[in-house]
Amino acid sequence: MKKLSITALIFAFCLGMVSSAFAEEEVTCFESRKGASEVVKRDLQPGWPNVKCSPKTGAVLWWGDPFDGTVPMGDTPLLTHVPPGNAVVKPRSAKLAILPLCGTACHNGVIPPTLPKDKKPKAIPTMEGLLPDAKNLQHGRGRIWCLDCHHTTQRNKLVDNFGDPLSIDQPQLLCGKCHGDKMRDWRDGIHGKRIGEWASTGKKRWFTCTECHNPHNVQDGARNRGFIQLEPELPPQLPKGMKDAKHELVHGVH
Amino acid sequence: MNKLMSFAPDYVRYIIKGSTKFYAWMAFLAFLSSIALYGFYLQNTEGLIVTGLTSQIHEGLYFANLVFLVGVAAGAVTIVFPAYVYHHKAMHEVTVLGEMLAITAVIMVMLFVFAHMGRPDRLWHMLPFIGIYNMPGSMLAWDVLVLNGYLLLNLICGFYYLYTKYTGGEVNRKFFMPLVYTSIVWALSIHTVTAFLISTLPARPMWFHSMMPIRFIMTAFAAGPCLIILIFMIIRKNTRMWIQDEAINLLSVIITWCLGIALFLTLSEIVVELYARTEHANGLYYLMFGLHDLTRLVPWFWGSLIAMLVAFAMFLIPSVRTNYKLLPVACVLGFGGIWVEKGMGLVVPGFIPTPIGEVTEYYPTLIEIMMSIGLWAMGFFILTILLKGAIGILVGDVRFKSAAQATSNDVANSGGIAAHGPT
Amino acid sequence: MLGVSSLMGAGALMAQSDNAQAAAEWAEHFQGNYRLMSPQEKAEARARLERRYSAEYGKKVTVDGTEAQPGVLMGYALNVRKCIGCRRCVKACVEENNQSRGEKPGERIEWIQVLRMERGEFSKDKMNQGYPEGLGIQVGGNAYTPAGQVLEGQYHYEPKAVPEKEATYMPIACMQCEKPPCVKVCPVRTTYREADGPVVIDYNWCIGCRMCMSACPYWARRINLTNPVLPNEAMNPVTHYLGNRPRMRGVVEKCHWCLQRTRKGRYPACVEVCPVGARKFGNLLDPESEVSLILARKNVFRLKAELNTFPKFFYFYD
Repeated sequence: MKKLSITALIFAFCLGMVSSAFAEEEVTCFESRKGASEVVKRDLQPGWPNVKCSPKTGAVLWWGDPFDGTVPMGDTPLLTHVPPGNAVVKPRSAKLAILPLCGTACHNGVIPPTLPKDKKPKAIPTMEGLLPDAKNLQHGRGRIWCLDCHHTTQRNKLVDNFGDPLSIDQPQLLCGKCHGDKMRDWRDGIHGKRIGEWASTGKKRWFTCTECHNPHNVQDGARNRGFIQLEPELPPQLPKGMKDAKHELVHGVH
Repeated sequence: MNKLMSFAPDYVRYIIKGSTKFYAWMAFLAFLSSIALYGFYLQNTEGLIVTGLTSQIHEGLYFANLVFLVGVAAGAVTIVFPAYVYHHKAMHEVTVLGEMLAITAVIMVMLFVFAHMGRPDRLWHMLPFIGIYNMPGSMLAWDVLVLNGYLLLNLICGFYYLYTKYTGGEVNRKFFMPLVYTSIVWALSIHTVTAFLISTLPARPMWFHSMMPIRFIMTAFAAGPCLIILIFMIIRKNTRMWIQDEAINLLSVIITWCLGIALFLTLSEIVVELYARTEHANGLYYLMFGLHDLTRLVPWFWGSLIAMLVAFAMFLIPSVRTNYKLLPVACVLGFGGIWVEKGMGLVVPGFIPTPIGEVTEYYPTLIEIMMSIGLWAMGFFILTILLKGAIGILVGDVRFKSAAQATSNDVANSGGIAAHGPT
Repeated sequence: MLGVSSLMGAGALMAQSDNAQAAAEWAEHFQGNYRLMSPQEKAEARARLERRYSAEYGKKVTVDGTEAQPGVLMGYALNVRKCIGCRRCVKACVEENNQSRGEKPGERIEWIQVLRMERGEFSKDKMNQGYPEGLGIQVGGNAYTPAGQVLEGQYHYEPKAVPEKEATYMPIACMQCEKPPCVKVCPVRTTYREADGPVVIDYNWCIGCRMCMSACPYWARRINLTNPVLPNEAMNPVTHYLGNRPRMRGVVEKCHWCLQRTRKGRYPACVEVCPVGARKFGNLLDPESEVSLILARKNVFRLKAELNTFPKFFYFYD
């Protein structure tokens, strides 16, 4: 017994050494979309990280605090049963590096002389340079264009049906214009993702549309689905004695 | 009281004395048993990981032996029943040997229960009052009840009979006969409940059918007597006790019937399952032909089926089953065939595929195999002791001294068992 | 009835040591079934475990004992159309619930299985084929196409990316049945249904007979074949007695809907991690809960409903 505990102590000590040696290294992993929802791993309390990450895929597997870095979601119509402040989101704007520039450098509220007179698609070389997705927009199969979603003069804002600007942190108000059924399911918690408290009135971090879906490429060619393909986690361990799982590919009934 | 006080020492004294052959046999069994003890040690320090069991196939050799040995225990009733219900004289002389076998088999079952459990140190949790005994919901609780009851009945019946023989008195039939009849019914109950243990699980379609109890009993009443005949042959050869041909012949007839019905039930199952070939037949299909190209049990199944068919044919022919040169061969084939069919052949495919369709195979480890052999050795160790003591009393080697001096017709009392063979 | 504390004292004496860990372990051997303990005994049992775990894992470990709340019946729903088979739920479950994660076969335990099912191949060539030929076909040439067939699935699939075009996925874990067959067969009643729904196990009372594993139609239960391999830094120190506290060799474990989280109001770990939001959890008694709304609005089914186990885990599609 004693011998065992000493071994355990030594083991724990070694592990401590190893972990402190690597403490400098910054671990970044992604919450929902790779490249669009990265977080840096850190300790909220000693031994209690903000996130745990998958060593295989770099995806966040576990949240130490579901509300870390969130802000109130703002008004969403008909979301009445959730008390104010209990619906929070991680602002999308923080993840979009060029967004602050959009509203100051080029689209600073001054109506540019080249402003389109209508919403008909036309090439905008500057934007295509910044945003390759814009060249071949995979949303709406050619039936919609940039200005159906983005505000004409305030380019760091989205646009609603009346032409008024919407915060980029509230994409649901925009997407719901067309995807009403999804909007309804999302509002009721059936579609999409929430973390935090499970009670219907509880405090939750809501994942907004664009956290999971890339609005410029919702079709993801290989799969033709709203959600992009991603790398899966490792399969379960093979049971003792089994060399491989090739037999699973053979059909049993024939 | 005096008689009772001298019974135990006399009995023990007789058991521990023996020939070199006897000591060599016991030493061999003790050696194998010590390996099993080492296996116990490993399983209770490292855990069941030293075996080939997995979360997919979480019962294997241990459970298979457990199920089979419950059958052997129940099989002893093939001696008791003809002896007391049909008053078969030759059988009556050897009833107590059957009871000794039953005692041994139940003890072996318990050893295999210990081997199979994840936490044998917590067995007390099952004890009523200090633990929780989940009656009547848990079939396992019923199984524990019937097995312990059967052990107790056989201990009482067997040793009470031996004790009266030892003292030279007569059994008190008012006390003895109800116990004997109870034990006959009880023998059926132990195997029925063991069958219920696995046939009440809709999660395992291979086991989930009402034919299971009768199939268990039929295979038990074939495998048990096979072992008993072999033991009787050995006893005839090595001791002064002579077991009459009529007893052996009756057992052979019982085996013929029961093995025949068992084979019939097996073939019925095959027809029913494979005619429709639903997903629920996957376990049987794996056993017979393999599933997803995994075929480890296939040779075992066909081997056991052939062994059982050959044994059945041999038993069916009167000239063969009364030929005591060939009879042991038939018995070994029958016993081995049923051990495979009912043990590994029934238990393991119940887990293949898992209830959600994962197909894996069972790879028993050396430790697991040695442990099983060791537990069988422990069983034979106990059986040798019990049979030696019983035979000593039956042939009159052990008896109460004053009684022995007072009456000289003890041998006649012991029911025609004549001193015979090499002394 | 012998007091637990006196047994603990006796344990310390017998172990010839004032080591708290040894005393705690000793006392654990004599404790009764958790459900039958008095509140006082439950608190003692938890405190004992907290001491042992804290010493063992080198950090402050809490063992919670929050009981079921009135008015809550937990329910779960999974959108099979959404599932992409990424197995993040499987791994999140392991991060949360302190499963064994060693390298040797049998040392790694996962409670969720994700089944990959082929969409099947039906071909025009086989339309008029089959057997017997020429006598009127009994079995068509397109039979045996394993479309949507559970027992024909794959568990060890390893593609570069999911979802694959030719496959659908179906995760399976404990269904927290309202009529659980595992509970019925347990000879010592160490596994039982809690008032708020989940079927739990008192790991200290389990004798490792594995009857429950044989009885479960969903293969939800796992046996700890050896002492669980749980590195200190990976161990989740926030535990519940009936939930994710570290288990021991030889006992059975399974999903309990993250009791240590859900009893405190938080979503289960698998619900939170699901990248497509296929997993939904809530109170079946609250008409506004996600699960109640799904039952009201979507098409749902229970796995193996024919067995009358009445799972509180529903599959649905939209």
